[in-house]
Amino acid sequence: MRILAVDDDPIILELLGQFVEIIGAHELTTAPSALHAIDMLGDPNLGPIDCFMLDIQMPGMDGIELAQHIRNSSRHADTPILMLTAMSDKRYIDAAFAAGATDYVTKPFEIAELKARIGLVEGMVKDRQQRTKKIFAAKTIADQATHMELFEPIPIYDVDNVIDYTAMENYVAQLSRSALFGSTAFAFTIREVDAFHATMTSFEFYSLVSDVAEILSDTLVDHQVLMSYAGNGTFVCITESGWRPNMGGLMDAVNFELSQTELFDNNGERVHPRVSSGEAVRLIWKSGNSVMDALGQAHASAEAASVAHTKSLNDFWQNDQQA
Amino acid sequence: MLAELPGIERIRKRFVEMLAERQTQIASHGLAAWDATTVEEIKGNLASAQAILHQIAGSAGSLGFEELGRMARKCETQIVDHLAGPSANRADCPIEIISELDGFVAQCRKEIDAHA
Repeated sequence: MRILAVDDDPIILELLGQFVEIIGAHELTTAPSALHAIDMLGDPNLGPIDCFMLDIQMPGMDGIELAQHIRNSSRHADTPILMLTAMSDKRYIDAAFAAGATDYVTKPFEIAELKARIGLVEGMVKDRQQRTKKIFAAKTIADQATHMELFEPIPIYDVDNVIDYTAMENYVAQLSRSALFGSTAFAFTIREVDAFHATMTSFEFYSLVSDVAEILSDTLVDHQVLMSYAGNGTFVCITESGWRPNMGGLMDAVNFELSQTELFDNNGERVHPRVSSGEAVRLIWKSGNSVMDALGQAHASAEAASVAHTKSLNDFWQNDQQA
Repeated sequence: MLAELPGIERIRKRFVEMLAERQTQIASHGLAAWDATTVEEIKGNLASAQAILHQIAGSAGSLGFEELGRMARKCETQIVDHLAGPSANRADCPIEIISELDGFVAQCRKEIDAHA
């Protein structure tokens, strides 16, 4: 794996060089500032970068802005970004995830932690290469042959505050390491998503999920929310701002926006996606795995609400026919 | 675990060499903040000292200088809190920050002497 580490402290870059050397099988390239890194990334002779390690606090352009810049380039829209953070950078972590960070490593470094994080990233790089191939194949050919499973947590690009599902899991894990007061998890599921998935090409389905993500993001813009597509038509969201979402009202607002937005499939037929919302699960007093369970609870309740909504419609029509 | 790193001694040596320069910079920014008469001068000097402390806090612990790293972090946090608080707009630098910086600079000198 080829790693580009960006840090203004030469000691950190030397340490990373040593760490990477003992972990083995990786190649480290370094840059002393965000601007140097941008210059390097613009060089066609640089070759592929599989992972970025970015210091958060740097003079001039900081690591968060650099992460945004990296995410805006199609070449690295999907490349894992590990933020290098000091304990005093905790206040920047939300912004780093929102900018596209995948995870973070805390300074001072522990060899075991760094090794574990790099190992996880290595696994992700392999998974993503497969998934990205599928999405871009679907984008370019709009083909029927490329298949995306319904349960796949497809990465969504270029939508504000929508992060990759692995990053969401890492974000939730870090929440459990800090204060959870004021944090709430909630989710939305696209109704009858299985029918959309069964009748659409991969590209159409990807576009549908992206469009719904855009509308969710716009609806939630006034609140400090991070969200992620978890697969199966479900978006999981986390707010740390102390805001207590009114799920019924939010669902109506999202569905109103969806009704006002003209979405079409490849045949020019209009599609009418709607969402169901689940419970808002407060994370206070939870820790470790129970935080992840709370995210699962929010996720499951949105899916259950979607199923219940479809069933109630079916029951309504059946009762109507019998009457 | 640190001993596993083949070049750790070389990096420690470089860290101590840089520490000599960094502690001088921190001391001069601290003094300039203390002597300053405008809010902007105070803030600018404290922010410059904080940036150097941040670097030391990030690497010292990984190189076996845990106490120095903790002290750097404490000074850094104190400055960050001050700059984010209401007293940041007063044209005097808190004595607590200068006193903490003084203790940190003394610790730097101890480490430099010990590794001379």
